[in-house]
Amino acid sequence: MSKSLLVISRQAPWSGPSAREALDIVLAGGAFDLPIGLLFMDDGVFQLAPQQNAKAVQQKDLSANLQALGLFGIDDVFACGHSLAERGLTAPASAQALGNDAIGKLIDRYDQVITL
Amino acid sequence: MSTLHVVSHSPFTDSRLASCLRVCGNADAILLCGDGAYGLHNAALQTRGVKVFVLAEDMLARNLPLPDWADSVDYPGFVQLSIDYDKVNSWL
Repeated sequence: MSKSLLVISRQAPWSGPSAREALDIVLAGGAFDLPIGLLFMDDGVFQLAPQQNAKAVQQKDLSANLQALGLFGIDDVFACGHSLAERGLTAPASAQALGNDAIGKLIDRYDQVITL
Repeated sequence: MSTLHVVSHSPFTDSRLASCLRVCGNADAILLCGDGAYGLHNAALQTRGVKVFVLAEDMLARNLPLPDWADSVDYPGFVQLSIDYDKVNSWL
């Protein structure tokens, strides 16, 4: 049985490579059928904001990667409710919003954690 | 399962420590290293009631006093902690 992995993505989408790299780790894990979860936290929840325009800053759109999560069998996608509320965002249908205690339990449940 | 949270950024310029404190469990511990050692000046760390370690050389380099609610470790101690806890979460 493979070890389960939780990836915590906490960087805004256009601030550097971290957001894309976190997604790449998750998708790669999904391609190998690893038990993997993804949690958006802090500025990472900005990745979930609708109708962003990556072309305006000459970057590639992350939303295609986000939509691919389901195709790669990654259903455990979560967002920090506190971080969403702080930024006036709501969780999209593809991500489940969690409170602080629930996030603590989530981290507990996985064998390994990568925070980017 | 217990987690060792490694924080290497100052809590005064960065939200990592605050976020870590929001979600860390009672069986978890926080290891401060690099500018994360300035977290010893952060009252929230003391009141949260979670175990706190600081990397000794980063504390000494910054001339930070070791409060009674924290313990200092050297690099072998760091390695031992990473073994003692079920997993390590580095807040990169």
